[in-house]
Amino acid sequence: MSSAGTGSETGALITRIAAGDRDAFSRFYDLLAPTAFGLIRRVLRDPEAAAEVLQEVFWQVWREARQYDPERGSPEAWLVMRAKTRAIDRLRSVRRRDRTFVAPVDESVATRDDGPVENPAVVAEDRQLVQTALAQLPEPQRRVIEMAFFEGLTQSEIAIRLREPLGTVKTRARLGLERLRSTLRGERMSAT
Amino acid sequence: MNREEIGDLAAAYALGGLDGADRARFEALLRTGDAEALAALRDFEGTLTDLAAVTPEAPPPAVKAALMERIVAAPPAARAGARPRARRGRAIWPAVLSGAMAAGIAAIVVGWSVSSTYEKRLDALANDAEQLKAELRSQQTVIAILRDPATQVVALAGQASAPTARARMMWHEKAGGVFVATGLPATPAGKAYQLWAIAGSNAPVSAGVFNVDASGVGSLSVRPLPGVSTVNAFAVTLEPAGGLPAPSGEMYLLGKS
Repeated sequence: MSSAGTGSETGALITRIAAGDRDAFSRFYDLLAPTAFGLIRRVLRDPEAAAEVLQEVFWQVWREARQYDPERGSPEAWLVMRAKTRAIDRLRSVRRRDRTFVAPVDESVATRDDGPVENPAVVAEDRQLVQTALAQLPEPQRRVIEMAFFEGLTQSEIAIRLREPLGTVKTRARLGLERLRSTLRGERMSAT
Repeated sequence: MNREEIGDLAAAYALGGLDGADRARFEALLRTGDAEALAALRDFEGTLTDLAAVTPEAPPPAVKAALMERIVAAPPAARAGARPRARRGRAIWPAVLSGAMAAGIAAIVVGWSVSSTYEKRLDALANDAEQLKAELRSQQTVIAILRDPATQVVALAGQASAPTARARMMWHEKAGGVFVATGLPATPAGKAYQLWAIAGSNAPVSAGVFNVDASGVGSLSVRPLPGVSTVNAFAVTLEPAGGLPAPSGEMYLLGKS
């Protein structure tokens, strides 16, 4: 998890990658590819497209490691946001081409039960914390977050689907994320 | 922009669901180095990163293999020299870049305002393209049938009930056929014309039903008929709408190949 343990290691790895260190890249990939791939797969479903996007994302990491700015966030966040953006771009271009929407995600993150693949970057307890925090969100807030983050819908699209005013959708997204964030912070503090 | 609004924008931006104009607005704010916007975005992105980490999945090994091969061939961008440039070094680039960025932002703002229009047009064009493709495919089938030397062309002549009717059948045993008739009486209610293929001494096989328009023209696209190769004759009878397994009504057209 970004804030638990691997933060300093990945930061050092990025610096080495920027200097062209292939071993550092290999290690960085091993640490974070499962998280990125899990996210891309949730967005895209199609395993082949997901593998292509994953390769592009890490290719960008190699090419653009110098642009990483620690003041903007953790290396994990830098990578995950790239993975998300790429996956959503791909999803939207597929939608435009096919004019068919993928089946909406009906299962929630909290109840997903494809056996999780062990990721060395994520401590199991942390994962539990996130799942719990997500499960504690009010359903409408969780739904908006999932529709945007995993289904790649814009806020206007979400508003239309849910038949809610755009302003409501905006507020829900913010409140949901704020609540998720503070729950995670609080639980981490009480856990230590 | 007040704090809440910045929060709304940052949340949507981190989630990837920020629409055109709002997105340009927020990105412009980020570029000014707005501390509140940067902090909000950083927080939300961190939270979403934690959320993404809940469902890791092992990627196919081929991805890493391909990447390791690729990176051997190409060093990280803009790294001609081995010595890393000091991160905060004051170079001419920031000045050049900020000029380019200002131009870029202007382009983005204009770009977003027209992009939704184009998005819609793209959708409409994609639709049109699909229709044209379908039309093209059916035309190509017809042309392929006409060009193939193995295609039989059978002229059908009107029978007693419609002496002036005529028809033509272009038939290819593997590709199917195209049938066009003229001069037939308008189809009576509850009835339909049915085309039959007759091969040797076998019983006639239905090749489909069709109606004629007010000018007496009817046409039918025929799929290849299972078990029917060389056809000796085609005939048209008038049958109950929907057709029958074997001819029962009066014959209107007949042609032998």
